Amino acid sequence: MTKLLWPVFFVVMLLSGCGWNGTPTRENDFTPLTSIRIVADYSTIAAHTSTKLKVIGNFSGLFTRDITSQAVWSSGSPTVAGFVTASSPSRVSGLIPGTAVLTATVGSISNTFTLTVSSATITSITVTPATPSVANGLSIQFMAMGTFSGNTKQDITFDATWRSSNAAVASVGDTESNRGFAQALTVGETTISATLDGVPGSTLLTVTEPVLQSITVTPANPSILTLSTTTFTATGNYSNGTTADITSLVTWASSDSGVATITSTSNKASTLTQGTTTISATLVNASGKPVTGTATLKVTGGNLTGITISPANSTLVKNNIVRITATGSFSNGAKRDITGAVEWSVTNGTVANVTVPVSGENLAWLSAMATSPASTAITAKSGSVTPGTANLAVTTPVLQSITISPTSLDLPAGTSNRFSVTAAFNDSTAQDVTVSAEWTSNAVAKATVGNIGLAKGRVIGVVAGSATISAVYGGLTVTAPVTVSTRTIKATNGLTISGTTTIVSGNQATFTAMASYTDGTTKDVTEDTTWSIDNKYVAILADSTNQPGQVVAVNTGTAILTAKFGGVTQTVTVTVP
Amino acid sequence: MKRTYRMIIALCLPILLCDPVMAQHSGPYVGGFLGGNMLMTAKSSDDLGSFSLKFNPALLGSAVVGWDFEPNNPVGEGRIELEYTRRSNQLDQVKFSDGNVKGSGDVTADSLLLNCIAVFHNNTRWSPYVELGLGAARIKASDLQVTGQPLSDGSAVVFAYQLGTGVDFALTDYLSLDLGYRFFSSIPPKFTEANGRKFDMDYYTHNIVLGMRFGF
Repeated sequence: MTKLLWPVFFVVMLLSGCGWNGTPTRENDFTPLTSIRIVADYSTIAAHTSTKLKVIGNFSGLFTRDITSQAVWSSGSPTVAGFVTASSPSRVSGLIPGTAVLTATVGSISNTFTLTVSSATITSITVTPATPSVANGLSIQFMAMGTFSGNTKQDITFDATWRSSNAAVASVGDTESNRGFAQALTVGETTISATLDGVPGSTLLTVTEPVLQSITVTPANPSILTLSTTTFTATGNYSNGTTADITSLVTWASSDSGVATITSTSNKASTLTQGTTTISATLVNASGKPVTGTATLKVTGGNLTGITISPANSTLVKNNIVRITATGSFSNGAKRDITGAVEWSVTNGTVANVTVPVSGENLAWLSAMATSPASTAITAKSGSVTPGTANLAVTTPVLQSITISPTSLDLPAGTSNRFSVTAAFNDSTAQDVTVSAEWTSNAVAKATVGNIGLAKGRVIGVVAGSATISAVYGGLTVTAPVTVSTRTIKATNGLTISGTTTIVSGNQATFTAMASYTDGTTKDVTEDTTWSIDNKYVAILADSTNQPGQVVAVNTGTAILTAKFGGVTQTVTVTVP
Repeated sequence: MKRTYRMIIALCLPILLCDPVMAQHSGPYVGGFLGGNMLMTAKSSDDLGSFSLKFNPALLGSAVVGWDFEPNNPVGEGRIELEYTRRSNQLDQVKFSDGNVKGSGDVTADSLLLNCIAVFHNNTRWSPYVELGLGAARIKASDLQVTGQPLSDGSAVVFAYQLGTGVDFALTDYLSLDLGYRFFSSIPPKFTEANGRKFDMDYYTHNIVLGMRFGF
């Protein structure tokens, strides 16, 4: 109890600290407003121009605040100056030369401001910024500064009439809300002009190619197992709203290379240990600014602590081939097939050979190559973890006989089963030579038999009928009959999935699919079923080609495992705690 | 000041006079505590945004009635008690987006908690302990004002909790001195502003207490 209490105590202390030290967002409307002050950029403006006024409130002498939005305005001489802009009530316009007393009222507090409207006339207009370049899709605010008779200057952005000489290249706003605001529409040049009382001012606007604004890296938040790989895609978002695949253009990086590595020119990340790392994609845009997009990669499934090779100590007759696997033990207690993730090597390459698994698969073959008795060590390596080792002895006895097992098969059409061949030698040893044998069917229209790799000896029933399967090894032949029958899967509960549905992250679990037929028979159809999972960040198929029904848990959550066979679909929910 | 010295002497005198070894008390007890508390700067929020209330430190007073478990009790060695405490802090400043302004008024919390105390007995008179208390508090905002203008005046009853640690010193078999620290908090009470708006106020306090317990 007390062990629990202390952490709780300190967490509460940390959370409470010394009280709130944040930034308040609420204005003080308790302290009374006692006076107001009117502020303007210009106390004198030319006729046909305007200026915006501000009201600064003084609250009991304690603080001030801009309260322009609360003010009600009036002009003592509305023919001289008036508040005529509906969208901006605090903007006063000079109508004819003269003086006007302007009044702002907030609640019961009022103050006045004397504005002079001069008879000065416009002589020239300067539009700024001068000759700007803007990327397609971006915008820019122009300002018009008027020079008047008497050499006075005044911001007339709001009072001028704005035009773009080529509205297809860039538009410029000329309404109360957007005067002088230009939007680049396509690559090219246009002249932006501001005119007051017939006097123009202008500048050249150049619209350049769209510029890269941001990068989206997908997937954004993937979870994958240690000793795995995953690829990312970088999509560039440009200033004109277009997107482009820039995966091959960006520079890739991983924030924690102990968790996962990624080379700068490759979009494939390789995971090493549990943890989280940020995968970034960076590209310098046309403006010379580096633009970066990121994704958060979570690596799960434990850290590799040991490797076990199976078979560990084997004897193979020369030229025989067997499947070899590497199983990883992980820091969280998980175990899974990592045949495709380790680096295989054979001490004496003339004695034996291990094939390199295809990327993403867990299938490797051990071949006995020595022509006279010899032995060698086989190693499976990954990082700095102690490599897994196995010993292989190659023998050269004389073949005596071969047998096939089972002696016959009875299959529903559309399903499969396997034959194996065992060879007996003159040194009283026997060995499975299924993969080394040559397999044929005398009636492929009825039943086929695989003769490549893992498919060797696997018979698939095609249609009802009979066939004879032959296996040849070392010049000897064995045969076995196959009977294929037509059966109908039950409409209800015709396919059943069984297996442990709660799997710890990193562990591999086996699911089997069993078909039930209307004649009351059942058949294991795990190898004949199409398996899929809807959320690869929760669980994945270990190797959809070579390990049907094998599922590896990835990260906390639930995923739907789907099995499809013979037109029937069945699902189970896999939970990763 | 003289009164404070007298109190300290009165509390310390028995320590000097007592025997080095005491039998561990079990059974009912009553006690009283005095101390200081700091109500942390409180984040307050209404539909217009957030503002903070800063309070002055103040005194607190507690009364407890409880039961000392006998040694080797299967429940564990410790105590269970009912505690009433009153804390009252004066509002000093209120901070809005415009800046700090003067505040006034008091926030008072009357709490009733059920405390579970784990005591680590040893061969000395000193026994450290940790405690967890759960209960309710009536938190009252009394005439809270901002620059002399009314902010709120009301009260709310809310769930409250307390975490504490300290040390007991056994003066006699039935009398012990307790010096402790308490973190007291509640779920934020909701008050009504003078303009009718509702606002939530955080309530976190740090407290140092000194008290005595009398066993029977």
